[in-house]
Amino acid sequence: MFSKFFYTLKEKGLEVSLGEWLDLQEALDKGLCESSLTQFYYVARMILVKSETEFDKFDMAFEECFKGVKTETEIGKNMLRWLDKSDMIELAHEEARKHLNQVEEIQVDKEDVEQKFKQRLKDQNEEHNGGSFWIGTMGKTSFGNMGGNVGGVRVGGQTGYQSAFAVVGARKYRDFRDDKVIDNRQFQMALRRLRQFSTKLDIPKSELDIDQTIDKTCNNGGYLQIEMMKPRKNAVKLLLLMDSGGTMIPYTRLMNDLFQSVNKSNHFKDVKVYYFHNCIYSKLYKTPECENGDWIDTEWMFRNVGSDYKVIIVGDAAMAPEELYSNTGNYRGPNGGLSGFEWLHLMKRHYKKIVWMNPKMAPGRAPWREAETVIKEIFPMYKLTVKGLNEAMVKLMANK
Amino acid sequence: MANTEFSSTQDYVASEELLASVNVAIALQKPLLIKGEPGTGKTMLAQAVANSLGKKLIIWNIKSTTKAQDGLYMYDTIQRLYDGQFGVEGVDDIARYIKLGKLGEAFESDEQVILLIDEIDKADLEFPNDLLWELDQMEFYIHETKRTVKAKHRPIVIITSNAEKELPDAFLRRCIFHYIDFPDAGLMEEIIKTHYPNVEENLMQNAMQVFYDIRALRDVRKKPSTSELIDWINALQISGISADTLRSKLPFVGVVVKKDEDLETVRQEIH
Repeated sequence: MFSKFFYTLKEKGLEVSLGEWLDLQEALDKGLCESSLTQFYYVARMILVKSETEFDKFDMAFEECFKGVKTETEIGKNMLRWLDKSDMIELAHEEARKHLNQVEEIQVDKEDVEQKFKQRLKDQNEEHNGGSFWIGTMGKTSFGNMGGNVGGVRVGGQTGYQSAFAVVGARKYRDFRDDKVIDNRQFQMALRRLRQFSTKLDIPKSELDIDQTIDKTCNNGGYLQIEMMKPRKNAVKLLLLMDSGGTMIPYTRLMNDLFQSVNKSNHFKDVKVYYFHNCIYSKLYKTPECENGDWIDTEWMFRNVGSDYKVIIVGDAAMAPEELYSNTGNYRGPNGGLSGFEWLHLMKRHYKKIVWMNPKMAPGRAPWREAETVIKEIFPMYKLTVKGLNEAMVKLMANK
Repeated sequence: MANTEFSSTQDYVASEELLASVNVAIALQKPLLIKGEPGTGKTMLAQAVANSLGKKLIIWNIKSTTKAQDGLYMYDTIQRLYDGQFGVEGVDDIARYIKLGKLGEAFESDEQVILLIDEIDKADLEFPNDLLWELDQMEFYIHETKRTVKAKHRPIVIITSNAEKELPDAFLRRCIFHYIDFPDAGLMEEIIKTHYPNVEENLMQNAMQVFYDIRALRDVRKKPSTSELIDWINALQISGISADTLRSKLPFVGVVVKKDEDLETVRQEIH
C-alpha cells in the first residue's frame, strides 16, 4: 500500500529487498507502528536500512513521500485532542470574536488583515515543516490569534519520540553518508582467492588423524593410540608494496580500502607491507609517509622475505621515462647505483609471483604513457578494481 | 508475570528508538543487529533486555577463530574412542558425546531465552552467512545422531557489531538494524545518574563539558566513549577533586584519553 515509498527508496539508491518490504508490511499488520507516522519512520528504518551510512538516503525518501501526509495525520490527532476540550474551544471562539470586533472597531482594511494573516501563515508553514494544511483549514475559521496556542498543543502532543520530521529535517546522518564506499568486502572476497592449503605449518596438532590412529592402534594390538594432525591452513604469504608518491594522492581512498582489506584478511600465513615512492629503489619505507631513515634495504627484503611470498605491487607507474632509466634514481632516497628499471628486474628475478595493480591503467597499449608500457612488459598489470583484483589473484595462484 | 515489552531498566538507559527496535525485533521474530561506537553499551543492552523481560541470557562471544559450527554442537570423538577402549557404559550412544554450543543451548532451553551473539564482526568473513539457516529456521541437524534440534521457544537474538568488517547482505536482510547514536548531553546526564545517583551536579556538568570538548577535537585519534566518561567521573568523585579546577588541571585524564599522542593534543587544546 506504500508502494510509492518503495520505489522512492529505490530511486534514492537504497537497495530494499522484497523480503524486507514484506517484513515491514508484517510489522504494520501487527500494529507495531501504533498508527503514528513517527513510529512508522523508526520501524521502517530499522527494517529497511541496514547501515547508518544509508540513513540519510532513507530520510530523503521518507520526506519526499510523507511530507504532505504527516501534517494531516499527526495534527489531526492533536486537533481531536484539542477539540475534546470544549471549554478551550469556547474560549477560542470568544477570542476570535473579540478579535473580529476589534478589527471592525479600528476599521482596519479587511484585505490588509488577510494579507498579514496569509503572511504569517506562510512563515509558520516554513517553521513547522509543512503545516500548511492544518493552519490553512483553521485559517478559514479565522482563528488567526490562536497561532501561539495551536503551536503549544502541537508540541505537547509529541511523546518521547523526536518527531519524524524533526529527525528528517535535521539530516543528522548526513555525515555518515558515503556514496563512494567501495565495498571493501568485495576486495576481501577477491583476496580470498589467495589460498593454498598446507599442513606443513607450525601450528598445534588439533585434528584427529583417523588413518594414523587406526594404523597405530592396530600395531598396538588393538589398544587405542590416538594420533593427531595439524589442520589444513592457508600457506599463502603476501608481500604488498604500495606506491605512496604524489601522483597517488587521488587514489588514497582506494589504496586505503585495499590496505584495510589485506589487513583484515586473516587467512594469510603472513603479510608484509612496505611503501615506495614512484618506483622501487634500494630502500623500501615502513610507513606511507616515506620518511628518510624509516626504511629497510630492498636487498634485506630479498634475503629475508622469501621468494615464496606472492607480491602485489600497487602504483600508477606514472614516472617519467628518464626517471625509470636514470642511474641516479628519483629525487628522494638512495638508489644503490641502479635505475628503477633494473630494480624492477631484480624484483622479478627474486619473486616468482608478482602482479602490478594500477589504479589508473590505460587500456591496452598506451604509447603516450611510456613508463607504464615498459612496466607492463615486466609484470602483468591489472587495473585496481574488484574485477582487476580478481584477475590478478587468479594470476598469482596460477601454476605457470 | 514477566513483561513482554522491553523498557529502560534501573541500570540501563535506552533511547525510545532503541526500545522500539528491540520490541519490533521481538514481534517480528528477527535477530536484532546493534551497531555503534565502542562503549555505547551494545553488549549491556542484551543484559538489560534479559533483566527487563525476566529471561535468561546466553552469551556467545565471537572471536577471530570462532566457526559457526562451534555455536551448534561439538562431537567429542576422542572421548568416545577412549571410552570405547575401556568399555564404558553407554559408549554406543553417540548422543552422549554430542555437546551443544551456545546456539544449541538456546534452542534446547525449556523457556524462551535471550541469545547474545557478541561482536559478530570479529569472526571470519563468511561466518554470518553460515548461520543464516539456523537463525531463520531456528533449527539445525546433528548428522551423527540424525537428530534435528529445533528451538522449543524461539530465542530473542541480539547481535552486536563494531563494524570492523562489513557484514554480508544476505545476513543483513534478515535483521532488524539499530545504530546506537552517541548519547547527547541530556541522555548522557541520565546515564551518569543511573550509575551515580548522588553525583555532584557541578562536577558532572564540568566533566561532561570537557568530555564533549575532547570528543570534538579533530586530532584525537581515539574518541573517548561513554564508559570512559563514567570511569572518569568515578575517579573524580573518589578523589574529591574540586569541579572548578577540572578544566585547567585535567586530573586523571588518562582514564578518558588512552593514547600518548592524544594526551598531548588534549593538554594543548583544552584550557
